[in-house]
Amino acid sequence: MSADENDASTSVTFTKLAKELEGRFRRGLSDAWSEDDFEELARGVFRHQFEACATYQAYCRKRGVTPESVATWEDIPAVPATAFKYFDFVSAHGDVEATFLTSGTTRGEEQRGRHHVPRLDLYRASLMPPFEAALLPERRPLRFLSLVPDPKTVPESSLSFMVGAAAETWATETHWLVDEAGNVDAAALGDVLDLIAASGEPVLLLGTALAFVHVLESDGNRLGPLPEGSRIMETGGFKGARRTVSRERLYDQIAQATGVPSERVVNEYGMTELLSQLYEPVLAEGSESVGVHVPPPWLRVRALDPLTLRPVAAGQDGILAYFDLANLGSISHILTEDVGSVVNGRMRLRGRASGAEPRGCSRAMDDLMTAAEGHR
Amino acid sequence: MTGRRFEAFVLGPGASTGELTMLEIDGAAGSGQGLSLVVPELSPDSVRGLIRRLQEGADALVCRSVSDITEVLGRVGERFGDEADEVRREALALLPATAGVSDAMARAILDGMAADWTHKRLRALVAAEFEDPAALDGITAIRGREVMAVGPRLCVQIVSGSVPGVGVSALIRSLIVKAPTLLKPGLGDVVLPVLFARALRAEDEGIANALAVVYWPGGSTALEAAALAEADVVTVYGSDDTVASVRAAAPPTARVVGYHHRVSLGVIGREALASETVGDVAAHVARSVGMFDQRGCVCPQVIYVERSGATEPVGFAEVLAEALAELETRLPSGPLSPEEGAVLQQMRGNAELMAATGRATVFHGGDEASWSVISETDALPGASCLGRSVRVRPLRDATDLAGELGRLQGHLQTVAYAGLGERLSALAADWARMGVSRVAPFWDVSFPPPWWLHDGRGPLQELVRWVEIDRP
Repeated sequence: MSADENDASTSVTFTKLAKELEGRFRRGLSDAWSEDDFEELARGVFRHQFEACATYQAYCRKRGVTPESVATWEDIPAVPATAFKYFDFVSAHGDVEATFLTSGTTRGEEQRGRHHVPRLDLYRASLMPPFEAALLPERRPLRFLSLVPDPKTVPESSLSFMVGAAAETWATETHWLVDEAGNVDAAALGDVLDLIAASGEPVLLLGTALAFVHVLESDGNRLGPLPEGSRIMETGGFKGARRTVSRERLYDQIAQATGVPSERVVNEYGMTELLSQLYEPVLAEGSESVGVHVPPPWLRVRALDPLTLRPVAAGQDGILAYFDLANLGSISHILTEDVGSVVNGRMRLRGRASGAEPRGCSRAMDDLMTAAEGHR
Repeated sequence: MTGRRFEAFVLGPGASTGELTMLEIDGAAGSGQGLSLVVPELSPDSVRGLIRRLQEGADALVCRSVSDITEVLGRVGERFGDEADEVRREALALLPATAGVSDAMARAILDGMAADWTHKRLRALVAAEFEDPAALDGITAIRGREVMAVGPRLCVQIVSGSVPGVGVSALIRSLIVKAPTLLKPGLGDVVLPVLFARALRAEDEGIANALAVVYWPGGSTALEAAALAEADVVTVYGSDDTVASVRAAAPPTARVVGYHHRVSLGVIGREALASETVGDVAAHVARSVGMFDQRGCVCPQVIYVERSGATEPVGFAEVLAEALAELETRLPSGPLSPEEGAVLQQMRGNAELMAATGRATVFHGGDEASWSVISETDALPGASCLGRSVRVRPLRDATDLAGELGRLQGHLQTVAYAGLGERLSALAADWARMGVSRVAPFWDVSFPPPWWLHDGRGPLQELVRWVEIDRP
């Protein structure tokens, strides 16, 4: 095939797969996915990514893996999540519709990861069903109070995009209460709280852990009371933050400030490198599901041995790896820096690595060099 | 918790453990090896009580001669090197689980450390640092001046847990200068200081009364504040952040000796790259990388190889990989925690992507061992120094290394070398100006002698205050 023919073929395969996946995602979480369904789609997606992304193909070939050689999707090579900082993974032909960036850290000079998304409709289709199941089990529109910035001000944030997309479908009205730098508009927040107190209608409050801490710890800021039936989505942990509080303490503080019981605070687990998200199903299942994250059927999670990278026993901690069909346009199989366990396809997080520093007085030399350059 | 228990504290004189609640914590670094450490649940008041009793024991220490103290400490230290001694046997039984190292590594580390805890070596330490050690015992005339070296009335030492043995070397230093010492070891280095303190009590109660070893979790600011308030010298080993927080919490009158993040690297000159010598050189490099499983600040992280030798840098990387594989059979690396594995696998995956795109060559121990060698032409991102991972970079000429060092600012420590011949002195002077404090052959870097200029200064001189008498 000529280069042009190759591009055309990539484009056709991508569109065909994207449409198939979108249709499948839209059927929602109750859609029954057999092992074979996932296997077949995963291999189709791998074949496409192998053909479309030269870097990935070279990486797979170095490991002696081709679409013909894999026996199951678990054999498909995973790329490290941090590789999104150093490589542009695009498994499609032509322009991408969006490029999402990972959040910077306090060592701001660090390079940010880039997730190129050729087709936002596929992202939309994948994000809605899990969001609805976790946060809107009644499927009734309500008012959104967002401590996540407006996607119009931060187009590079996949989280903002997600909240924006959900709001388009489900929000009676959306109040964007923080600016692109994460500063809370306290006056606007106060006005909204007065408004909803008067209406008595339940709301959905969304924010990162860091945003909640900022609001809760600034003098004079209120976060409630929120009307009965309200629910809260918290996400993000404290990646790169100088200070952290325990989850339990944060949820107690949120519950106290909002009047929403802590078992109605839903944790979302997501990362820029994965277009699908996992949620704690506490609204549907109650407080026994605290700490348990459920993936949609098109996202598979495994806990792997730290050295052999083979799956560990159910319930045992390992490095978390994801195969996300929604990542069709980049790379689907991602090895993360996170540690957790998996039981019956559900994930329990142990700790969010923030570049787990080596023990003791030794530190990566290049890390120090980068830091020194950043200070110039 | 099931399995073994170890009472991981020595509270010093007259302490009644009956007043304290005991906690059991996992001492096996989450490895599930079944070892719990029993530690007292401290309060700021109990820390203050501990310090008061140490200070009360100070007189008995101060009136002893330095040669006497050195002899006692040497006798205790020598037990750790004696195969027949129960102290050594207990140390070897506990170290693998608490420090997260293999049995063979525990033995190698203890051998390397204990070799410096002998009377002979400690006497040599004092002699290296004091022109006349009598200055530690009273007013002494040195080169026409009447002077005396006075140790602190309380020395608080906060030690990281990364390399076992560092805590013992630390407490030996402060006891030699006659300082009542409160040592807070890191979790991975709790065993040896506790065993040392117990053996010291059996040997010499008077000196032992000036020493307490207690662990508390990092970040216990109230306990730390109580301990630091009374200290006139504080030493702290750990990350830059740890050192900064201790500096901020110490009283302005205290001298804080910070052993912060440091990095070491290696350089191999063309003279060592001949085919008949390169295998031996690689074995030495492998040992310097593998000792402490790359957790020590003395472990070289990047090896610069001169291009003009008989073995090209990438060829050297391959020989080094073979040497690391061989070392793994004699001195196996310790188990990887999932968190450490996560970092290692990110590094390996990124290196393999770089290799796939022609920017690096990668050798690693696959699913059998954590060692990894990345040969690269430029510094590639995604570095890590976990699990015996090392980078090999080409150097046109050893004189170019100084230019690379500038970016490491205050974090440089050791340059390990091989094959520089007559060029060494001139090169070392250049590196010294860039911040390097030690230049040593590869086979020597892991265990510097007790009198080494630790991060640039004499370790005993750091602890003392000089007093001078003027006469009319």
